[in-house]
Amino acid sequence: MSRTDTPLHLQKTLWITILFSLISVVSWEFFWRSRGRIPDLPDDKFLWAQTRAKVENPDASSVVIIGSSRTLFNLQIPEWQKMTGVKPIQLSTAGGNPIPVLEDIIEHTNYAGTLIVGVTPGIFFSKISKDSRSWSRTQKRIDFYHKRTYADRLNHFLSIPLQNNLAFLTASENEWADDIDLKSLLRATKWGVRTGKENDPPFNSFQYLDIDRNTRMSNRCAHDTAFANTVKRVWQSHNKKAKKSPKDEAVLYVSNLVKKFKDRGGNIVFLRSPSTGFYKEQEAKNQPREEFWDVLLEKTGVKGYHYDDYESLKNFDCPEWSHLSGEDADKFTNAFVTLLLKDNVLPQPQNH
Amino acid sequence: MVFNSLGFIVFFAVILVLYYGPFLGWVNKKRMLLFSSYVFYGLWNPPLIILLWISTMVDWIAGNKIYHETKPNRRKFWLWVSMVVNLGFLAFFKYGNFLLENFISFVNLAGFSYEPLPMNIILPMGISFYTFQTMSYTIDVYQRKLEPARTFLDFALYVTFFPQLVAGPIVRAGDLITQFYEEKKATVDLFIWGLFLLTLGLFEKIVMADTMFSGAADAVFNADKNLNFWDAWAGVLAFSAQIFFDFAGYSTCAIGISYMLGFTLTDNFLYPYGSIGFSEFWRRWHISLSSWLRDYLYIPLGGNRFGLTRMYVALMLTMLLGGLWHGAAWTFVFWGFLHGTYLIIERILKGRFRFEINWWNGLLLAGLTFILVNFTWVFFRAEDFGTAWNIITAMVTGFGEGEKVLGYFDLTKVFVLSGILFLTHYYMRHHTVRMVTSSAGPWITGIAWATMVFLICISHGQGEQFIYFQF
Repeated sequence: MSRTDTPLHLQKTLWITILFSLISVVSWEFFWRSRGRIPDLPDDKFLWAQTRAKVENPDASSVVIIGSSRTLFNLQIPEWQKMTGVKPIQLSTAGGNPIPVLEDIIEHTNYAGTLIVGVTPGIFFSKISKDSRSWSRTQKRIDFYHKRTYADRLNHFLSIPLQNNLAFLTASENEWADDIDLKSLLRATKWGVRTGKENDPPFNSFQYLDIDRNTRMSNRCAHDTAFANTVKRVWQSHNKKAKKSPKDEAVLYVSNLVKKFKDRGGNIVFLRSPSTGFYKEQEAKNQPREEFWDVLLEKTGVKGYHYDDYESLKNFDCPEWSHLSGEDADKFTNAFVTLLLKDNVLPQPQNH
Repeated sequence: MVFNSLGFIVFFAVILVLYYGPFLGWVNKKRMLLFSSYVFYGLWNPPLIILLWISTMVDWIAGNKIYHETKPNRRKFWLWVSMVVNLGFLAFFKYGNFLLENFISFVNLAGFSYEPLPMNIILPMGISFYTFQTMSYTIDVYQRKLEPARTFLDFALYVTFFPQLVAGPIVRAGDLITQFYEEKKATVDLFIWGLFLLTLGLFEKIVMADTMFSGAADAVFNADKNLNFWDAWAGVLAFSAQIFFDFAGYSTCAIGISYMLGFTLTDNFLYPYGSIGFSEFWRRWHISLSSWLRDYLYIPLGGNRFGLTRMYVALMLTMLLGGLWHGAAWTFVFWGFLHGTYLIIERILKGRFRFEINWWNGLLLAGLTFILVNFTWVFFRAEDFGTAWNIITAMVTGFGEGEKVLGYFDLTKVFVLSGILFLTHYYMRHHTVRMVTSSAGPWITGIAWATMVFLICISHGQGEQFIYFQF
């Protein structure tokens, strides 16, 4: 790499580089668009942290949603905003336990608005362990938020317009099987079975996300049964060793947090979203309602909405047993917000 | 801020506009570079710029005092001031937790129960690099090898120059400060060559280190299982490649960026995995650190001037401290010990066996060196000795047994690319990138360059930090 005086025709080389770089990158973009890919924001720690920052300076009517993927998919921000005039702050994390977020908001902010806490039984009532997958999934994002640098913020800010316009930049920290960055393409290449993991069903992305972290199920998952079945196989694979959750552990932990939040004037609501098929059976077996959900409401003294208790919340179909399609999510949000307004859990909207 | 980020592209574009635009004179351009360097550093953690300022102020004052003082004791006093401040920063920020942990272990071993609160000290990015750089300045002035910088601005820019601030090369004052005295401007060809090296460095980091090798290395070193022979070797080879591409990639970026501004930095890596023997390895790996350790540690400890035993002791101490420089853990010290042992054994063998090195036996010896270097990387990468021992055991005895954590494709990828890496380094022992591109011609070089750009674009990671930032 030393500098010598050998002529290299560098200007000509640069022009050739620019030409071939443009051709290859543009071709790559068109190739993926021809395969049906569209630009999409990744649900990553950067966007989560940007959203979490909004909790630091909320106004009195703010609503913060925490939970796992069901509150992410099923509560639609535009619908909520249309009905109440308030744009909720979406902090749910797919596959993540919301309790660390609850703790973070209560311990590290002065937030005293409304908290909607999604309860996905298998995750929420799991053993309280900072090493567990669902806990660490959320905790990593919280830690990143508290440690993120100005460089992180700048890079994320600059990445948004690119990710919103280029399909080939679609990649996720969830490591979907159909991500198209080079590392994911290499990871998806399998030659025979060596470790056994090659037999795991591929977990393809089945959602789209916007800058507010509003998430909608993809039309493909909602309407293509074969594709939805690939997601179902993943749920079965993930839950084949699922066992009964420990009683009272999460309830006790959450009760102390809820008391602190209520003491400072906060408003908190639990939401149990619909599940069907395999998930409904698993949840009935491993986290029976009377032993978990009912006890949670009783011990915390918090208002809770279980989809089975309300005519307007039940009878939704989950294409892959766990989440609602975009259209159904709009209806579910509408029905849920209507209940919250009727019960005066949320203030009545002024101009709606 | 890291080079492999969108933020850096914007940051550097603004600098280039200000640097080559008609707005600023040379002194103001230097001020702009200094300010930009603080921004570059401060975007990570603004308060820690204060450490840079203290280091800069202390060494600026100490350097001038040492130069102008005539009384030996006073000169020595100011040298000590510089050493105490710089090494004090290192001791506190880098080794504070390590020293406390070892103190607790020692006290507990002696039968006393002592449980202090953890100190939670933040490790300032690149502290090992800039403290070594500023120390070399005061030592060189003390030894009358160097005149103090002409102005405070030149000195501050030398300490803080953003291309090499956080991960080297550790540039000697004599090589860089004098470049600030007169206006620098890259020629069009030098600018393009710098851009080529910047692309090459980013390719090494983003595509090779982060995309091709990091996954296999992480899978093996985080496995916490008794591994299969092939998996253990693949993981270690992957880490060897990852750390080379990561660190050499940073240095290549730094050199390329400097060229684009009209400055020259010294080479830091010269195809180390093609080395025949460990003396040569250390002349090719992290050259700016190994030459620093040679000049400011090994030679003052006696070097080879006081007989064989003293030389071996000096060599071992240098390598042990070199290991500790890389990280505050005993595994790094052991890594240094292994390299020290290799160097001593090599010197003994060289004294007894003399033969001519040709292409073929050279290849064999380079292969042996590469394999032995791989064993040292196990201790460098492993979190603890238990993990390291598990991997070493699998590398030596795990054939046909143990857990398989890598698929056939990953195994093949690592072995094939590592083989190519080794052979490329062996070939490049007597070549340079410039020689290769010159003989390839503009079309092949242009297409290769475009391929690197394309692979960088489609890899587009998440701005992963360079491994050496933590040192």
